[in-house]
Amino acid sequence: MITDHLLSIILFAPFIGAALLFLVGNHRPDIIKGITIFFGGVSLLGAVTLLFLFDHTSSTFQFIERETWSSELGISFYIGVDGIGAPMVLASALLMFAGIFVSWHIKDRLREFYINLLVLGSATMGVYMSLDLFFLFFFYELSVIPMYLFIAIWGRHTKGYLDMKGNPKRDSVDFIFNFNQSSKEYAAMKLTLYISAGAVAALLGILLVYVHSGQHTFDLLEIQKNGVLSSGMKELCFLLIFLGFAPIAAIWPFHSWSPVGYAAAPAAASMMHAGVLKKLGHFAMIRIAFTLFPEATAKWMPVIAVLCVLNILYGGLVAFLQKDIKFVVGYSSVAHMGYIFLGMASLNLISLSGAVFFLFADAMAMGLLFALAGHLYRETKTLDIPSLGGLAKKMPFVATLFVIGSAASFGLPGGMNFIGELMVFLGSFNKYPVQTVLAAMAITVTWAYYFRMIRSIFFGESEPSLAEVADSKGFVGRFPLILLAAMILFFGIFPSPFIQIIQSGVAPIVEKITATEIHDTTSDVAFGKNQ
Amino acid sequence: MNIDLIAPELWMTLLSSLVLLFDFTCPKISKKSLAYFSIFGMALIILQLICMAVAGVNDTAFNTMFVLDPLAIFFKIFILFSTILVFLASLEYVDKLSHFQGEYYYLLLFSALGMMFMVSANDFLSLFITLEFSTFGFYILVAYLRDDVKSNEAGIKFFILGVLTAAIIAYGISLIYGDTGTILFSKIAMIEHKMSIGLILGLLFVFIGIGFKIGAVPFHAWIPDVYEGAPLPVTAYLSIVPKAATLCLFLRIAFATLSDLKQEWVWLIATVSIFSMTYGNITAIAQKNMKRLLAYSGIAQIGTILIGMAAGTKMGADAVLFYLMTYLFANLGAFVVVIIYANATQKDDIDDLSGLNRRSPLMAFAMLLFLLSLAGVPPLAGFIAKVYVFAAAVQQGLILLVTVGLINVVISFYYYLIVVKKIYSVEPIDATPIALSLPMRLVLYVGIAGVIWLGVWPKPFIDFSVTATKVFAGLD
Repeated sequence: MITDHLLSIILFAPFIGAALLFLVGNHRPDIIKGITIFFGGVSLLGAVTLLFLFDHTSSTFQFIERETWSSELGISFYIGVDGIGAPMVLASALLMFAGIFVSWHIKDRLREFYINLLVLGSATMGVYMSLDLFFLFFFYELSVIPMYLFIAIWGRHTKGYLDMKGNPKRDSVDFIFNFNQSSKEYAAMKLTLYISAGAVAALLGILLVYVHSGQHTFDLLEIQKNGVLSSGMKELCFLLIFLGFAPIAAIWPFHSWSPVGYAAAPAAASMMHAGVLKKLGHFAMIRIAFTLFPEATAKWMPVIAVLCVLNILYGGLVAFLQKDIKFVVGYSSVAHMGYIFLGMASLNLISLSGAVFFLFADAMAMGLLFALAGHLYRETKTLDIPSLGGLAKKMPFVATLFVIGSAASFGLPGGMNFIGELMVFLGSFNKYPVQTVLAAMAITVTWAYYFRMIRSIFFGESEPSLAEVADSKGFVGRFPLILLAAMILFFGIFPSPFIQIIQSGVAPIVEKITATEIHDTTSDVAFGKNQ
Repeated sequence: MNIDLIAPELWMTLLSSLVLLFDFTCPKISKKSLAYFSIFGMALIILQLICMAVAGVNDTAFNTMFVLDPLAIFFKIFILFSTILVFLASLEYVDKLSHFQGEYYYLLLFSALGMMFMVSANDFLSLFITLEFSTFGFYILVAYLRDDVKSNEAGIKFFILGVLTAAIIAYGISLIYGDTGTILFSKIAMIEHKMSIGLILGLLFVFIGIGFKIGAVPFHAWIPDVYEGAPLPVTAYLSIVPKAATLCLFLRIAFATLSDLKQEWVWLIATVSIFSMTYGNITAIAQKNMKRLLAYSGIAQIGTILIGMAAGTKMGADAVLFYLMTYLFANLGAFVVVIIYANATQKDDIDDLSGLNRRSPLMAFAMLLFLLSLAGVPPLAGFIAKVYVFAAAVQQGLILLVTVGLINVVISFYYYLIVVKKIYSVEPIDATPIALSLPMRLVLYVGIAGVIWLGVWPKPFIDFSVTATKVFAGLD
């Protein structure tokens, strides 16, 4: 049966595509595009099928495949999805497929670009599927290098770099203490080092779990069931793994690589990055830290509830001050991570489901906005908001979708983000009322900077230098935008099937954590009685 | 006595003598055919070794001076395989030498022969003889470019420091013998009270010698200059094979002979490892020459390998062997890219590699894979090797050591990625394509296949190293 290997097909189709691309020369762009679309399409089709076939009444992992990889080390290639993984696999496949069309016009080393995109896409999907700690980390690390190459090769220097005159413009990363903070090389290196630094901490945590669980295996479910860790070790591992994945999840104060990275990356890379790569952090925290260390999770989440408010406020206020479209969207993405962390910190069914729903919603909204930013950059050669204006007349289609994307992003009812935010707030209010009120009030800031950006890009006086710009045209230009916008609107209006799927994955995790909390309180009571 | 045990070495002696003989007696013969002949001969010896491995040979000869166990067979195959790759990588380079082309191949074979004996050494006397035997050829090879000042300088530095080390080792061995009355590893292993001053001092001197050969801090000073001055293929060879062979000896001494002193040598190795990784990586950042960058990265890599040694378990030994295999493909591959580039342009600075992607996409891609494998990025070989080594050390509770190792992984990303950036992101000054000869292309393909295969499906190689370390099965 094909469904027995559905996940393998989704995961390996892009890898096979990437391998085939090596055989094609760069002088045949049509063949390159054909291969990429075919294998990206297979993956997307598989991901859609996955969601349709997903049984939301069962709370176990589904579509499981397992292959022993090294019995010496206790590693097996073990994949399967639950209600959290399945939607994120779909999100990755969607953004990868949309990214293929968004990058249609790239002339320089097109083949290498698509190889990177396919590898990045399957690496992220691999993380969302892995049930083996080793492979989870394997795919996670695998996703970092394509980002470096994307930014270093096809990226752009941001405005400050191009304005610089003479000597300071020299290539900066060669001299470690002479950073030139607007160059693409700086952005690429900063992103890689931040994520790798986090990754090694997570690896230490994973190795400690591997060694001390007493099972001699990296199998996540096995360790969950039979692992014997002392409570001190559990807490250490929790902190290592949580902090290890915190930089990629852009939690304050580890967020600073992310807006810089988005701003410098080419459109498709920004989409993947803001859409699904960043969410690997939250996903890995839920998948590893929450399920393996429920006690430590319950203990440390109040701290996260404070940090997330800083994310929301700081991200929002900085976004308000930015003048570059990608920086505005990037910092708004940092702020959105705060909502997700708030949902995660509250640790109940509604808020955690809301957080996971928000992961998907934000992926779609960010994907759409960065795709549009890519189009604007190609047409106008700038993303500097003050030097744009009156573009709604020239590009009505892009303007419309930009408004849809922004509206979704600032949480207008009808878009997916609204549902996610609502669920997070509903679930968190009892536990963290102050944080929830602050977070809800911060939405006004989001409205402010998005409206201001829309006004100055698309309305007002038209710049004479922008007379030649064109709207996105044809199937290739409009398809990815319509695809993402349709997802936002459809699931914004009919969220319930989606929420059912997500809740089937979230419920067992929440149950486990609540169980430990209740256990703690009862033991306290008993202790009190004894006294 | 069982003469069959040294059959591979005898064949190797015959092979190198034949190469020398043909070179002298038939001046008309093309030097390339000598190289191909040697490659063919070594391939046959590898076959013989594989047969021995399958037959499960595990015996000693010459009054237990010489041992042929799975560990020795593993390293002999490793040495011969690397020598074949280096021969292929040397063809073009040697063709451009103005003199002594045939002797070059002979000396390489001669050193390989020395190292084949070295991995079978089972007492301190054969340790000393084989160490010097293998280094002897390198003294000449390092100074092979006699009109090049840097090569001469490298030769003299290598020779003086090498001889000094030899003296230290010899002194250490005399102390060991004076204290215990024996030089056999197996007899020393049986001594109950090893904490006598003479033995400890002697072992420390031998440790210094080993540290020098593998280039670990603080015995690393010769490495960058020698790497920079020596002919490029020789540097490639020096950076891998002698280190691997010496590590085999080190494994035998530390794991088999001194296993009950583990508590004492763990901190020694761990300290050297921490210094090697940190010094190597931080100094590598400042390098402007590709050979020197690889030299310092090699110091750091040895530090990482020593983490596996410090674990002091069978798993640690497996990890060391597996790491060496991944290191062979990645490091040799990186050097081969530099060799091709230097052959075509006479330059080997990092800046000169700018825009390599435009000049030769294959070389650029190969270099990307090799450097990322050295850095330890999945799905490449280096990643598995690093996880293996770290896992072995975490199992022994060496958390501090592993933490330093992991921090160093992040530091190493920086300088490897700078080279990647030059290759891919910077535009070339001179965009003429670089042509690759067939043997060079072959080595590149072998390297690429190696780093990907060991990274994606390492099972056969892990099994290979697990079988080879059966000698250490008794370690907890």
